[in-house]
Amino acid sequence: MIEFFSAIADPAVFATVLRVMTPLLLAALGVLISDRAGVLNIGMEGIMLSGALIGVLVSAATANPFLGLFAALIGGGLLGALMAFFINGLGTQFIITGIALNMAALAATTLGLFLATGDKGMSGALKSGVLPNIDIPLLGGVPILGPLLSGHHMLTYLAILAVPAVAIMLARTPFGLHIRAVGSDPKAAAAAGISRNRVQLYALTLSGVLGGAAGAYLSMGYVSWFAQNMTAGRGFIALAAEVMGMGTAWGTFAAAAVLGIAETVAITMQTKGLPSELMQMIPYIVPAVMLTVYAARRQAKARKIS
Amino acid sequence: MTRAILAGLTEFALTALVIGLVILAVLVPLALSQPDPLEVLRLFVLGPFGTIRHMGNILEAATPTMMTGLAATIIFRAGMFNLGVEGSFFLGGLAAAATAVLLPLTGLIATPAAILIGALVGSLACIVPGYLRVRFGASEMVNSLVLNFAFLFAGVYFLNYVLRDPNAGALMSYKLPGDFTLDRLLQGTRLHTGVIIAFVACLLGGIWLYGTRSGLNVRIVGWSPGFASHLGLASSKLLMQAQIAGGLIAGMAGAIEVLGLYSRFSWTGLPGHGWTGITVAILARENPFLVIPAALFLAYLQVGGDMLARNLDVPSEIVGLVTAAIMLAVTAAAIFRHPAFLRLIRDIKGKEAGEEQGA
Repeated sequence: MIEFFSAIADPAVFATVLRVMTPLLLAALGVLISDRAGVLNIGMEGIMLSGALIGVLVSAATANPFLGLFAALIGGGLLGALMAFFINGLGTQFIITGIALNMAALAATTLGLFLATGDKGMSGALKSGVLPNIDIPLLGGVPILGPLLSGHHMLTYLAILAVPAVAIMLARTPFGLHIRAVGSDPKAAAAAGISRNRVQLYALTLSGVLGGAAGAYLSMGYVSWFAQNMTAGRGFIALAAEVMGMGTAWGTFAAAAVLGIAETVAITMQTKGLPSELMQMIPYIVPAVMLTVYAARRQAKARKIS
Repeated sequence: MTRAILAGLTEFALTALVIGLVILAVLVPLALSQPDPLEVLRLFVLGPFGTIRHMGNILEAATPTMMTGLAATIIFRAGMFNLGVEGSFFLGGLAAAATAVLLPLTGLIATPAAILIGALVGSLACIVPGYLRVRFGASEMVNSLVLNFAFLFAGVYFLNYVLRDPNAGALMSYKLPGDFTLDRLLQGTRLHTGVIIAFVACLLGGIWLYGTRSGLNVRIVGWSPGFASHLGLASSKLLMQAQIAGGLIAGMAGAIEVLGLYSRFSWTGLPGHGWTGITVAILARENPFLVIPAALFLAYLQVGGDMLARNLDVPSEIVGLVTAAIMLAVTAAAIFRHPAFLRLIRDIKGKEAGEEQGA
């Protein structure tokens, strides 16, 4: 146990945990907002993938990584809005809409990459930008804490700042109240004059913006290129993180941290030639167990009351 | 009766129209970007019917998706959004390969044994999320989604540490012994006898769902759980039956795919036929009989896309876009639940219902 904590306190290991956690956290917060509004965003995987490609393409075209990030945010938001349009405008089921978006995004990003570079696998030929790391002034010089907390990727800081922001937004703003109202009881919300369609549109758009940020991090921070299907199921891990977080921003943060640590251990094991596949299972088994335990406890409670 | 058929045909015509428009909407902009737009359309639409071999390719591509489509249909009909079909397909293929590599079976029982074991092991990926839902009320959708990946990595571990042929270079299993195979049916394609199994399975599935008491009970549970409990049906048991049946079929599909197409097992990712199966089930309106044409249609698109990729340097991924768009279009309530359309269907059907009442 002590070994574990001293390993985590090692700046290099800590940085790796933050690196793998950042896209999960951004995407999971996006899933959280959509889930609380009653339209769980299954399409997160596809939104991340699209954001990753858009970031690379725009940053390569403009030679400006910030424009790339901006375009990824806009693109993600538009995809979220598109989902809302399909669900509430055309009346498709949200699960099917999400599955279709994932399918379409995998195809469209491969197609887009091919049209831009002539290659279907990777964007190596493009000179795409990388978003910078941020050195926090003053803090960087403090012993122990400095190397731990300073010098990380700008989207890592953004992801961590997004946790209290989303928590406050959901708990203390009128918009957050509307989201929770629509998510927990659409009929009562409608009776109170809250438009479900509008709230879900905003929620999915916001969810998509966060997904776009997660994607941009993958292709302009985690690595500096786009590869076919580079999200590799991270959108689904984000979904799982949100479920583990029991619908709260701080819970989602804790879950993303746990899953980030698990993935870091898996990466470390892989480099040491140990069976990493079993560690790779953890981010998928833990949420299933938590979800089941949570459901079982709720069921037991309901039985006691009746 | 004739009016019911007429109403069905009307809905089919609308579906066909919507799908045609969707294909054009995706394909026309792509075609215009090419030097010879008409050739793109011609190749995609008519190309797959060009030769016997290409039609064989359609059947070959439809073999796994007919079965995963049937599996998804049965699961959805029970009212569960269990997405474990993808995991079941993977596990079924792995287990069939493991049977072939590890068990000293020969002769005529070899292939059936591998398919049976594939079905049994594969069914786990549908049964586990189904059980957790029935027993504890945990969301089968989220559980199946994440557990698919857990089963994938468990399978890759098994492949890497038990089945791996160290002399094969890449990560793949030992060669499957010659007795573990399904006969090829058509020269120049990989079409194998599995396609017959798939056809028969869909027909049997349809007969079961519409022609037997337990099929009816499953439909009632899925259609209206409250009504089912009023009737005194054992809902939990019926739900589990549907998950088990779906899982077995999806696992069997994976086993048939591996035995029919490959000499080694080398899947290190989810093969995606489970997702396509879900699309097939939706396109077939969750009717096992219609699963056959739905799977054939998606396979036809796939072959058309492959032909574009081979002849014109247009990536075959275009098919993924078309499929996703079709999936959304055919489930859009705004089209198929549109008051005008419902009124039309009611007018076609309605008089018959009135006549029955009069008589």
